[in-house]
Amino acid sequence: MIVARDLRLALDGHVILAGVSFDVARGEAVALVGPNGSGKTSVIRCLLGLVPFTGYAAIGGRDVVREPVAARVQVGYVPQRAAFGDARAAEPLAFVARLRGVDARRAVGLLDAVGLAAHAGERVRTFSGGMQQRLALAVALVGEPPVLLLDEPSASLDADGQRTFFDIVGRLRGRGQTLVLASHRAEEVESLTDRVVRLDRGRVAAPPAAKPVARIVPHAARRGGGRP
Amino acid sequence: MRPRAVALVAARELREAMRGRWFVAAAACFFVLSLGLALLGLAGAERSGLAGFDRTTASVANLALVFVPLVTLTLGGLGIAGELEDGSLALLLAQPLTRLEAYGGKYLGLLAAVTAAVCAGFGGTGVVVGWAAGGGRAAAYLALVGLTVLLAAATLGIGTLLSVLLRSRARVVGAAFTVWLALVYVSDLGTIGLAVARRLAPAQVFALAALNPVQQARVAATLVLSDRVDVLGPVGAWGEDTFGMTGLVAVLVGLLLAAAAGALVAGWMAFRKVPVT
Repeated sequence: MIVARDLRLALDGHVILAGVSFDVARGEAVALVGPNGSGKTSVIRCLLGLVPFTGYAAIGGRDVVREPVAARVQVGYVPQRAAFGDARAAEPLAFVARLRGVDARRAVGLLDAVGLAAHAGERVRTFSGGMQQRLALAVALVGEPPVLLLDEPSASLDADGQRTFFDIVGRLRGRGQTLVLASHRAEEVESLTDRVVRLDRGRVAAPPAAKPVARIVPHAARRGGGRP
Repeated sequence: MRPRAVALVAARELREAMRGRWFVAAAACFFVLSLGLALLGLAGAERSGLAGFDRTTASVANLALVFVPLVTLTLGGLGIAGELEDGSLALLLAQPLTRLEAYGGKYLGLLAAVTAAVCAGFGGTGVVVGWAAGGGRAAAYLALVGLTVLLAAATLGIGTLLSVLLRSRARVVGAAFTVWLALVYVSDLGTIGLAVARRLAPAQVFALAALNPVQQARVAATLVLSDRVDVLGPVGAWGEDTFGMTGLVAVLVGLLLAAAAGALVAGWMAFRKVPVT
């Protein structure tokens, strides 16, 4: 589903990625782990075509550089810290729905799935960090993209916010959502992903490690959660 | 490029801009200042009341040539840089749209917001003058509003280019103010100084002025106000001899459009490779 080959990125003369390669199969959940500055976020930015890299990256067989629209239509993205300007909660959902050519009213209904239905008309800037991240997740789910890229989505959340957020992501995993999660939180990685790609100073530090099967099913999915 | 994607981004940008304080402030400023100038237009003649369209057009032209570039350079400058800094540009570009669609949509949305502010501000004054004073050429006033929008298109393009090149709100604000000073005041004085010092021919002075969209709009506004090109001196005479009166206005409008297009293309070339981090 995702192919990354020899991703290299340099910004302002600094080498950020020095040849990162990995694959993600359909339905697989992969964690990108490593210390701060190891290149986790940069790999996700390469997959989204946000930075000028060399190498090859494709999502669903579509080259993210040559076919950016076809590649990104298959991706939902949750950044470390979501920003929605002065918008009301329902607006980014409706905007993305129209861009993706799906029903805007149905997209706004995703607010219910992330527990924000009562806040649809409120300004996002009045939301807590956890609410903003849940909104970002709802936006990422518009159009049901087969791949979710989560870039340390819980970095700015408190314990309750993290639990709520990852319960929702866990339910998505339960239905076989392909996932790439950049994180340095062991608990998230343990509960949500099948496999780890460890990065260190812009390189894959060790061969991708498989995790025991018993650990790959998230807690929420074991509780019988369906699609949020 | 898909027009629908551009239109969606433009509509989003317009909605956010019109919701912001700057829109209300700019529209109110344009209205209050232009109406004030219309009211003061007859003060020199020791008469009170609203001036007619001709005098109001002359007053509003000076206002537009100074304030509209200031607003649009700053607004365009903060557009991309602001969204880069707060992370919302990354969220936008992570959606299934190309950078060209995002860039074009953001520019068109901001231009629509500026046009709305100009029309609300200067248009409001036009309505008041037409209702209370009348007299003079309303068509010239409308032409001036059109020229103002063209000038806004050019300076907004320059502001957006600055935004892409500098990628920081703080740097962009400083650069926008510097460019504004250069376009509105320094270029004028520089052209005059150079013309005198180097004894430039009228064609050369015209070419120098044609490099600056504010000068282009200023000359075009002068022609809108008066059909006598001698008010522009030898350069105006050269322009009329070379292009004819209608042709001269068309050349100036074309130059304004070219300035907007040039700034947009340069901005887009830079934006294509901007790392969104």
